Amino acid sequence: MTRSIIDPITRIEGHLRIEMEVTNGKVSEAWVSGGCFRGAELVVQDRTPEDAVHIVQRICGVCPVSHAQAATIAAEKSYGITIPNNARILRNILEGAQFLHSHILWFYNLAALDYVNPLNALTADVADAYALAQEAGTSINSDFTQLKKRLDAFAKNGQLSIFSGNWFDSEGGTAYTLPPELDLICTAHYIEALEMQAKSSEIAGLVGGKMPHVMTCKPGGIAFVPTQENLADLWALVNEVYDWVSTTMVPDTLALAPFYADALTWGKGCGRYAAWGVFEREDFEMNNRYLPAGVTDENLSVSDVVESKITEYMGHSWYKGEETYTSPYFVTEPEFTEYYQGDTDTVNDRYTWVKAPAYDGKCMETGGLARLLVAYQRKVPFVVEQIDGFLKALGAPGKVELAQSTLGRTALRQIETLYVATLMKEWVAELIEAIKGGDSEYFRAPQNDTGAGTGFWEAPRGALYHSEKVEKGKIKGYQIIIPSTWNLAPRDAQGVNGPMEQALLGVPVTDMEKPINALRTVHSFDPCTACAVHISEPATGKKFQTVTSPWGVK
Amino acid sequence: MKNEAIVSEFYDKLESRGVTRRDFMKLCGAIAAAAGISQLTANEVAYAVEQSIIGASEGNLYPVIWMEGASCTGCTESFAQIDAPDAATVVLEMISLNYSETLGAGAGWSFEEAREQTIAAGNYIFVYEGAVLQGWEGQALRVANEPGRDHLAHTAEHANAVVALGSCAVNGGWMAAHPNPSEAMGVSQYLQKVGIDTTVINVPGCPANPEWLEAVLVDVLMLELKRLDLTKDNKPALIFGQTIHDNCQRRGHFENGEFVYEYGTEEEVKGYCLYPLGCRGPQTKANCGITRWNRRRSWCIESGAPCIGCTTANPKNSNENWVQTNTPFHKRHRMLRLGNFTFQPTTIALSVTGLLAAALVIHGFGMKLTGRMDGGADFEKVRKWDEKHPDRAIGAYVSPAALEDKAAKEGNEESKGGKA
Repeated sequence: MTRSIIDPITRIEGHLRIEMEVTNGKVSEAWVSGGCFRGAELVVQDRTPEDAVHIVQRICGVCPVSHAQAATIAAEKSYGITIPNNARILRNILEGAQFLHSHILWFYNLAALDYVNPLNALTADVADAYALAQEAGTSINSDFTQLKKRLDAFAKNGQLSIFSGNWFDSEGGTAYTLPPELDLICTAHYIEALEMQAKSSEIAGLVGGKMPHVMTCKPGGIAFVPTQENLADLWALVNEVYDWVSTTMVPDTLALAPFYADALTWGKGCGRYAAWGVFEREDFEMNNRYLPAGVTDENLSVSDVVESKITEYMGHSWYKGEETYTSPYFVTEPEFTEYYQGDTDTVNDRYTWVKAPAYDGKCMETGGLARLLVAYQRKVPFVVEQIDGFLKALGAPGKVELAQSTLGRTALRQIETLYVATLMKEWVAELIEAIKGGDSEYFRAPQNDTGAGTGFWEAPRGALYHSEKVEKGKIKGYQIIIPSTWNLAPRDAQGVNGPMEQALLGVPVTDMEKPINALRTVHSFDPCTACAVHISEPATGKKFQTVTSPWGVK
Repeated sequence: MKNEAIVSEFYDKLESRGVTRRDFMKLCGAIAAAAGISQLTANEVAYAVEQSIIGASEGNLYPVIWMEGASCTGCTESFAQIDAPDAATVVLEMISLNYSETLGAGAGWSFEEAREQTIAAGNYIFVYEGAVLQGWEGQALRVANEPGRDHLAHTAEHANAVVALGSCAVNGGWMAAHPNPSEAMGVSQYLQKVGIDTTVINVPGCPANPEWLEAVLVDVLMLELKRLDLTKDNKPALIFGQTIHDNCQRRGHFENGEFVYEYGTEEEVKGYCLYPLGCRGPQTKANCGITRWNRRRSWCIESGAPCIGCTTANPKNSNENWVQTNTPFHKRHRMLRLGNFTFQPTTIALSVTGLLAAALVIHGFGMKLTGRMDGGADFEKVRKWDEKHPDRAIGAYVSPAALEDKAAKEGNEESKGGKA
């Protein structure tokens, strides 16, 4: 039995530590620890819901739009506003732009370096690379000869830059199994992806003023009123991104998968999935969203979301008390205690800044995989067709359970990317039609200033929940449960591991210093730790007080 | 140290003798010094005993360490949007980004080792994103089982310069807003506290515009650090020397007294000035209107959103962060009565705001009165919106007394708002 630790986990948002016991080459115990506490809920207290929309976005620079939308929806529910149709479409486009940005960046620029070794591309044969790209049916937008020259010059200079401290030599050099030609193709797409994620953000910048941290999402609708020129730009941008996504992402995934097929056999999490749904249709029904809401049990059978079934437990986190609270009435007070017991390597009962949420008493996995499984079970045609086609291409028709693995979780997000890219084109067309039809309404001002409401929404990395209570225009209690809080949860009151911890159990680890399969599993969740850590104002109205140094003398 | 992340066998052996990795690098520096060579070659001495994981310690690329404190990664995200040159060119052909939590290929101990080797090699720029957290003896932010602030101090101490990137790094940003639950502060304030005097260049913004960082890096790389023109707050003067208002594309409408009073209205379609919606452009120093955002695609005010003053950051005082200073964002400014003209009240009780608002109203409406508008844009005598909402209009077209009468009669109508 040996201990293996990854701290910091890189190519994610925020600060995350993974500690694992490894027995006979497999992970036998895991501790996932979120490393940063900030307290956004306390900062918005006594400020206005309009201010909160701007402040809570700053929880995450990768998914600010989702936080803005969830906060805006919570404010609209509090005020009793149904937003105008143009605002609905534009906010779908704003959210879609962020999904595209986030998924493209995540797959190529964050997760892919677990599978692709750009330095190995130095030995690629350019002619073979072109042939392979054609065979794989993936896009060829880059000049491979030039790219190889560029990599040669980089290598010759000798400084490793972003490849410093890399894990390409993990497991005695056997962990990265792509042929150099495929490494070259994927490196070309890594660089193209940097462009495409920026293009997607341009869409968010156009509608939202700037990205990250968009400006136009307002309780009541949207501040952005598009000009004809804006519409033309939108149309061009969504088509450009769609063309790249549809010709590149799914083919690349299918090309990579056979080299890492063993990753289909491990990495399953808790096997229960939660999605609050995202992208509104005209009826504003959660279950009818383009990606619908729903929770599944272990057999993947779907039921509707019930708010009162959401609870939070903090007995294994750095907060006072061991109660389980029911939403939206959480009470938490931060209190740091040591990670290890004294001078041993025994991890303490409380080992993370992340709390443990549960649905109907059990932890849930959330994210792209959860959304697609719920959409699949709710028979969203595009999703059913794509997942079936994908499984067939992998040689496992009908085996949806294969998706519940490290590689499955990684691969399915590309299907979602394609779906969103397709929807973006539809929404821009829908908006142009609506404006041509004479609809010029974008905003409905609040008619009252007191109420309470919850925004159920999805960030690219999973189910997002904002709930607020407003009195005379001021926030008197604000609660947030974020996707990664679900996924990175520590043990629950019964001692059951959180979803990512469960996913790590059984993962093969032979290189204790560079446990690459564990890193692949962590990245498959697309975790966001800055998001994950949250606390709540005591519902009693009692003021939060800073705990005086419980850490004491080390 | 036995609880440290798993390290290489070599370091295990050292550690069993009570030598930490950091000690080891210092030791190498001492060996180099004893041998009569520069401290800068410490890393090369280290290579003799262990292979480098940052590659060459010198080359064509300027070494950069980019560390995230209590951040949302928004400034890294923002940086990833640059296009001239693009992000790939920057990290392959301009700088050697040896440590970046978001973009780096490494992870865990080898990643931390890359940072140590870069520090030991010296001559690097240090970009710090996010706030410094003091809460729980710094444990509010934990990286590699140590408080984040210790990593900051250690990395800053040996850097050529620190770029405090984004408002959080400049003075704690939104995290420092009341009640500042994690005890956030800025980089320069913290470094001063622990006695580290490395130059800190402050680049506020939430996030910082990537063009601003690029301007700083290019200045450092191509013009040498000493040529940077900084304000008294150590902010690049070219970027933060003027207000948003100075370079605003809607400024002409301000001069004309043409305003947007509610989102999505006819006035917004015409691109009128957003001042009555609480725009902080007149108080906020940054050149957003020139650089714009997302590859110059748009920016806040062009998209119809009033400025919320996200570059407001006094590096010497974390209480003067942009959220504390500027919320509520969407309230009009202090009620002022100047002759026939009234201004709506603001809830932020800063006297400077009142003075500024007074200056603005004199300037804006003064121009109208003095006839400097002749030959300019078409100016409505009484704007439609104002006519419908006389109690909420900025330009008063009736006598103040009559207005007060009307307001009294209608009671609390104002707080209920209304659709234009």
